[in-house]
Amino acid sequence: MKTVSLSGSLRENVGKKDAKKIRKDGNIPCVLYGGKEQIHFTLEKLAFDKIIFTPDVFLVNLDLGGSNFQAILQDVQYHPVTDSVLHADFLEIIPGKPVTVAIPVQLEGTAPGIMAGGRLNLKLRKLRVRGLVEDLPEYIVIDVSKLNIGNSVKVKEVGIDKLQFLDTQTGVVVNVKTARGALEDEEEEEDEDEEGTEGAEGEATEAPAES
Amino acid sequence: MLQPKKSKYRKQQKGMMKGNAGRGHQLAFGSFGIKTLEEGWITSRQLEAARQAVTRYMKREGQIWIRIFPDKPVTKKPAEVRMGKGKGAPEYFVARVTPGRIMFEAEGVPVEVAKEALRLAAQKLPVTTKFVVRRDYTS
Repeated sequence: MKTVSLSGSLRENVGKKDAKKIRKDGNIPCVLYGGKEQIHFTLEKLAFDKIIFTPDVFLVNLDLGGSNFQAILQDVQYHPVTDSVLHADFLEIIPGKPVTVAIPVQLEGTAPGIMAGGRLNLKLRKLRVRGLVEDLPEYIVIDVSKLNIGNSVKVKEVGIDKLQFLDTQTGVVVNVKTARGALEDEEEEEDEDEEGTEGAEGEATEAPAES
Repeated sequence: MLQPKKSKYRKQQKGMMKGNAGRGHQLAFGSFGIKTLEEGWITSRQLEAARQAVTRYMKREGQIWIRIFPDKPVTKKPAEVRMGKGKGAPEYFVARVTPGRIMFEAEGVPVEVAKEALRLAAQKLPVTTKFVVRRDYTS
């Protein structure tokens, strides 16, 4: 799991007025929970953007007023219209306690189905897993080199040791479908063949009539 | 066109819309989408026109999702009828949208294609819209 260090400052006051002021100053109000007590703090918006504008999941080393905490980003609230970050939740990592995280999926290899005119369709970009932080991988790598047209990889087939997958076990992670373009081409070819054979038959039938 | 299969009451009052979208304001299925910046009523005809515009431009590649559903019946009185004598007959269905609401989502096409397709869709809608891309999108 990738690690990033962020330093924040503790909030003196909480509440709507204070939160608005924090946002106006270019910071984000945050909360850290899961440990002994809740800690309200602020982070710089520019530093925070690094961990949300990426598919990666980070283990965050928070430096808050001299004390250090290890945490993961648990939830982010966005403004409905402007999409700016309003608030962020961090979950403190306690050694030996499992956490639930959505890990991004990375595909490996070239599917033979694509060479045959199929289309690779990644249905689940992230998989929700539960496990200890030290067991969490950076990516869940799925080998697609054996996927032909119509084949798929399901959640239950992914299986990684020490991790519990929380998504529906029968859910499709990635599949190879027949591309619509290829389907249309095939149909057109079939039509042409049929026309061709009809034409040939027609000529054959017409020929004796002419003679 | 989209409309409810059955409804408990045939006619509804106009109602009032206040504030921004409380839900449905983040992309949930696709990588691209359009969100409304205004409140308004989207009729099922407008939704269908927008859907056709997207599908045609994307040449039936990729996938689209319609995130709103026209479930509110709108009544109308016939032409040249005096006021009174009761509420008019149900004429069409609308979806109510408030600022921030994602209306369409698309996936499986390059960003330029999705942007143009959704721009064409936005032209069919009676509200100003904004094109949005998933935060962790990598081309």
